[in-house]
Amino acid sequence: MALIELQGINKTYDNGQPLHVLKGVDLHIERGEFVSIMGASGSGKSTLLNILGILDNYDTGTYHLDGTLIKNLTEKQAADYRNRMIGFIFQSFNLIGFKTAVENVELPLYYQGVPRKKRHDLAMEYLDKMGLTPWASHFPNEMSGGQKQRVAIARALITQPRIILADEPTGALDSKTSVEVMALLKQLNQQDGITIIVVTHEGGVANETDKIIHIKDGVIGEIEENTRHDAWEGSVMK
Amino acid sequence: MRELFHEIGSTLRQNKLRTALTGLAVSWGIFLLITLLGAGNGLMNSFRGNMDQYVSQSVTVEGWRTSKPYAGYKENRQIQLDKRDLDYTKGAHWEGIVGNVIISTASTSVKLMLEGRKTDGWLVGQMPEHQEQDKVQMAAGRFLNDEDLRQQRKVMVVSMAHAKILSPGKPEALVGRWINAGSIAYRVVGIYHTDEQSFRRSCPIPYSTYKSIYDHSDKVESITFTVNGLETLQEHENFEKEYTSTIRRMHDIAPDDKRGIWVMNGYTENLQMNQAAGMLSTALWILGMLTLISGIVGVSNIMLITVKERTHEFGIRKAIGAKPRNILSLIIAESVVITALFGYVGMLLGMLACELLDKTVAQRGVNVGFETIHMMVNPSVDVDVALKATLLLVMAGTLAGMVPAWKAARVKPIEALRAE
Repeated sequence: MALIELQGINKTYDNGQPLHVLKGVDLHIERGEFVSIMGASGSGKSTLLNILGILDNYDTGTYHLDGTLIKNLTEKQAADYRNRMIGFIFQSFNLIGFKTAVENVELPLYYQGVPRKKRHDLAMEYLDKMGLTPWASHFPNEMSGGQKQRVAIARALITQPRIILADEPTGALDSKTSVEVMALLKQLNQQDGITIIVVTHEGGVANETDKIIHIKDGVIGEIEENTRHDAWEGSVMK
Repeated sequence: MRELFHEIGSTLRQNKLRTALTGLAVSWGIFLLITLLGAGNGLMNSFRGNMDQYVSQSVTVEGWRTSKPYAGYKENRQIQLDKRDLDYTKGAHWEGIVGNVIISTASTSVKLMLEGRKTDGWLVGQMPEHQEQDKVQMAAGRFLNDEDLRQQRKVMVVSMAHAKILSPGKPEALVGRWINAGSIAYRVVGIYHTDEQSFRRSCPIPYSTYKSIYDHSDKVESITFTVNGLETLQEHENFEKEYTSTIRRMHDIAPDDKRGIWVMNGYTENLQMNQAAGMLSTALWILGMLTLISGIVGVSNIMLITVKERTHEFGIRKAIGAKPRNILSLIIAESVVITALFGYVGMLLGMLACELLDKTVAQRGVNVGFETIHMMVNPSVDVDVALKATLLLVMAGTLAGMVPAWKAARVKPIEALRAE
């Protein structure tokens, strides 16, 4: 079985009048893939990402993550799965402002009950990997966008999750930094074999991934193999 | 646990103003409660202290003028207690209820003389128990004893005021000396305290001595006795009613005459005093609780705002693996730490305020003529009451944190992440 198995996922929001967002999504993502999900706003890509990240539930269908059926979970179970299986990277970084870089990276391990010393050492190790050792005791507002996103990546990696979900990871960054961040993700995928799913509406970003999944009006459209990274001609991004 | 405190420490440091405001509300509540209770206790101690000087646990009966004509007698007749009243009091009818009975004679005015120095005195025949009964404080020597009574000794207790006149410079040296009272010589066995302003002239001598020298009749000036086995105010009032109605009948006093005999019932006075004290303390507690409630409302208010402000942060925490329980305990622990810490500070300040009251108001006495009354005596709160109040506040703080914490713990992570 693939790492991620979605079958006939339906999701309807009911805010006053029903809005059918996902209309029977089937999706398979194998271990070690570097995938992007592309779609315009309103296409349902954010909803899909939320379901993949166990931040939201779905109405019908099945979702297997690494062989585990993700359905009708209690809040506690959902939190536990998120903590152990999924690493999030957000557009707006979502670092906690009153915590230093290293404290932010430590936080997922805190919720696993890892002792403080071990947590700290591990967090320093991951910050070092991101080249942020000198910034360990700085607060997020003392860092650049690129640095913040690298702290967030270190936080996503520290629990050694099954997948990394990146929601517009370059959306708040300038083009130079965007290239660096995408290169970093690519490196993590190639060297460490980490499965990464990037959600984006930018062709340049999607072009960096090995497979591009198009979503439109709540259904999966074309799936492009992009191992040669030539889906977008010209400049790499933007 | 240490981890949790570390977490709380960093959020509290982050929100100094909010922490300070919450803390102020809590500290103020506890401070007011402690100060209020302390001042109340001081007032009550002062009441009690002033009462104790005059009221002992006994009943005293004396004759008085009547106010109504009855059984052929005119009003305004002086009633004189006698042996019949004593026998009735000590008799079988009140067996088991009336305890120790002591009596005293009327007084006789005499001139006290020593080596040419003179002063006025009132000889009165008393019993050793009168020292306790009248709260006599000895300055030197002793009060009358049983041997004095049995042997009808010619001994006398004088006041310090007397002693200062008769033995200027060294009043204590008067103990053991013989002084003349009228035409009879008495040996002074003790000197009792008098206030600077007052000049008490009564000079107790043994009851038996007085009767044999000055009064051979059956007359008794006052009867004082203890009462056993009565608990409630109602029981004491019923006893007094039945007892006095018999005395009235024996002396042909109108049953509805408010005068005729004078009764000083220390038991009912004390019970009424306790009732008043109880009411005062209840009122203080209610006031204190109301101030506490305002503190608690302050805490929960700020907790609500806190949770709203931090929704996004909780969303992040949830996304990376915080369970609802983690969020819940974070908020509740925060509210407990704030209330406990600042509650403790408020408690200390309140106790300090009580100390301050003790040093100022309690030291200042009010002169009421013959003695000095202190408005407050030892205004303080028991440590365990203070701790209980603080504990109560901590519990209330927890409850106050509970509702917003529940709300925060139940928000879906995507909704929380969307909040700004």
